[in-house]
Amino acid sequence: MHSTGLNTNQIMRQVIYALILGVSAAYVFFGWGVIIQILLGAISAIVFESAFVALRGRKVIDSISDGSAVLTGILLAISIPAIAPWWIVVVGVAFAIIFGKQLYGGLGNNPFNPAMLGYAFLLISYPLQMTTWPVDFLSFNQAVEVIFQLLHFDGLSGATRLDDVKTSLSLGRELTTLQIHSSAQAWINAGFLIGGVYLLARKIISWHIPVAFLSGILIMAVLISMFDSQQHLPIQNHLMLGGTMLAAFFIATDPISASTTPKGRLIYGFLIGILVVVIRSFGGYPDGIAFAILLLNMTVPLIDYYTQPKAFGKS
Amino acid sequence: MGSHTFKGGVHIPNPYPVEKSEIKQVPPPEQVVLLLQQRVGGEAKPCVELGDRVLTGQVIAQTTGQFPINVHASISGIISAIEKRPIPHPSEIDAMCIVIDSDGKDEWIEIEKCDKDFLNCSAEKIIQRIREAGIVGMGGAGFPTHAKITNAQGAHTLIINATECEPGIMCDDSLMQEYPREIIRGIEVLMHACGAKKVIVAIEDDKQEALNSLLMYSFNDRISIEKIPAKYTSGAEKLLIKALLNLEIPSGEYASDHGILCQNVGTVKAIYDAVIDNKPLISRIVTVTGSAVKYPQNYEARLGTSFAQVVECSESNNQKHDIRMGGMMMGVNIPSAQHSICKITNCIFVNNKEPDLVVKECIRCSSCAPVCPANLLPQQLYWHAKSENIEKALEYNLMDCIECGCCNYVCPSNIPLTEYFSFAKALDRKLKREEIRIDRSRERFEFREFRLERNKKERAEMMAAKKIALKEKMAKDKEKDQAQKDKIAQAMARIKKTKEDNA
Repeated sequence: MHSTGLNTNQIMRQVIYALILGVSAAYVFFGWGVIIQILLGAISAIVFESAFVALRGRKVIDSISDGSAVLTGILLAISIPAIAPWWIVVVGVAFAIIFGKQLYGGLGNNPFNPAMLGYAFLLISYPLQMTTWPVDFLSFNQAVEVIFQLLHFDGLSGATRLDDVKTSLSLGRELTTLQIHSSAQAWINAGFLIGGVYLLARKIISWHIPVAFLSGILIMAVLISMFDSQQHLPIQNHLMLGGTMLAAFFIATDPISASTTPKGRLIYGFLIGILVVVIRSFGGYPDGIAFAILLLNMTVPLIDYYTQPKAFGKS
Repeated sequence: MGSHTFKGGVHIPNPYPVEKSEIKQVPPPEQVVLLLQQRVGGEAKPCVELGDRVLTGQVIAQTTGQFPINVHASISGIISAIEKRPIPHPSEIDAMCIVIDSDGKDEWIEIEKCDKDFLNCSAEKIIQRIREAGIVGMGGAGFPTHAKITNAQGAHTLIINATECEPGIMCDDSLMQEYPREIIRGIEVLMHACGAKKVIVAIEDDKQEALNSLLMYSFNDRISIEKIPAKYTSGAEKLLIKALLNLEIPSGEYASDHGILCQNVGTVKAIYDAVIDNKPLISRIVTVTGSAVKYPQNYEARLGTSFAQVVECSESNNQKHDIRMGGMMMGVNIPSAQHSICKITNCIFVNNKEPDLVVKECIRCSSCAPVCPANLLPQQLYWHAKSENIEKALEYNLMDCIECGCCNYVCPSNIPLTEYFSFAKALDRKLKREEIRIDRSRERFEFREFRLERNKKERAEMMAAKKIALKEKMAKDKEKDQAQKDKIAQAMARIKKTKEDNA
């Protein structure tokens, strides 16, 4: 006897559908590059997953059909700049699937979030390509030319929004022009927020991690701004810039690498939020989400062990 | 009053509701096969012989030991076999059975007219009648009822479990609609037998008709009939107590330790029959349901009637079936319908054969944790059970798992979690047995070593003692010799002296 609820494959598909709104917002501001990156990410995820599952002597179709590899590919593709060269996403997905997932035994056995592992790998290895974002909408042809490096397009690119804001803040510049650009990121974040609420409503994710994560960010941002409001990002930017909402609802909530107990999920989400703000404010990288999540992934067994609920009749 | 619910559990609508709640009588069959193996107390010893003629209600076997239980003939006829037959269990393991061929008369033993006013009887007398009638927990646990009442003497609260223990089972629901007067009377008998001052009858809120019919006959203000939300596992004793009294019975303790006696409503009806009508337990209500039957229905059938005969009444289709005994959550699939109804058969599922569910990897989504009524972390337990890390599984309270199957039900990857848990429990029992065996043989070995050593020591001591004794003896002998020699010398000296004197 089994419930009529969603099965694992349907869950993965629902998560992908919930991404549509945020991705559409990204498309509106950055153009076709976004879509091309996602296609590249999804296709390379299928290729690497199939190859490795076949190497491990498992049934390829079972593994591909669960949709988890495609989801990893898409999440990574969304996280990287829309004008990054094609091989960036391919290399990142390869690393995510092979080292982040298959070497641990495939779906369900990976201690780290594969997409974030791929992202961290790319950020450390190719910092320039990973922090250069388009400043304008790119047509299909432009995007193809940039991504497949048919010609150089220096005029179209700029630094990552958060990086930009941070640099200008430390230089003491006015925020006016930058605020216009950051509205793009705010819209994208709003898109992912709505998608996240959809996942909550469908009971595909629980509220614990997103709520704890966002409160972690908020509390830490408030604390930091209390001491030094000039040198750091405004509080609302912490929430609506960078990958905050994507991470809150789609990445930190990856059940496989997250804590599994209700109390544990609150601790896990909250600490990621704190770390994200700490890395953004004091670290050398523009955004700290990937590192914060990977660091907390390591603590999951410990958190789970100490947050076991009391069994019935044992309290 | 408590919150009337407990943490966890799942609401599962009955997939095959009945059209009419009436209980259909299955005519006494041509042959009954009565299982002698009892849930508690081992195998009953036959007290009839091959070829004997028995009457309906006659005692044909009895268990010995602490909680003796009678087995009664459920039809009149000739004992045609006393032999091992496969039992309704996935393994189809053999167990002793008594087979009676009907003589078609259904002739009863003489039933003594008994005192209808049970209040004149002592509690002991009532418990004795319950024991003689062969009553066990009819909800499915099969624990001897008289023993349970004896253990709960002086209980302050009596809880009547009128929740259907699993979705799909409807036998208690129909029983309450058909025999409300008998049930209320049976409750009064039970109150008298255990001394409880207060009774709570717990009915799920989707059984309004059953509730209404009980209310019609309940004039005793010590009996309160209470609704609880229809949720699976509310039939589990400890969870029911939690829901009704907001009392959490600690792990390892029993309800009776806290002055509470729980009885299933079907057992109460059997108690009524035994104490008021003086009739032994020879039939029970069975639900026949499932995707392959045209008319899901409740039947009253004699114990020992074959499943096939009852299923026939519900008109199953001609496709291949999966036969399941018990509910859809905790029941067991059995290989064929050629088994017979016993005291704990509350339901028979007849389902069309369906392809097995595809089991995927655990994605640690934890959907299983909030539905667990024991408040465990099934996905963590699964991890440790799968890797046979029993020590870790025990740390995650493996032994508190009641194997209700709520986790299986919600798992998006279709993982049969409870199968892993019962496997891990069995493994733990095996390891414990092994440990005891190893301990015993080590003790034996060590004792042997000790014994050999002790023997050696004793022998050495004995030898040493002997040696000393010998030495002493030799010394004494020597002394004696000397003394003798001295005596002789003295004598010689005396003789010599005498000779000299004479000379």
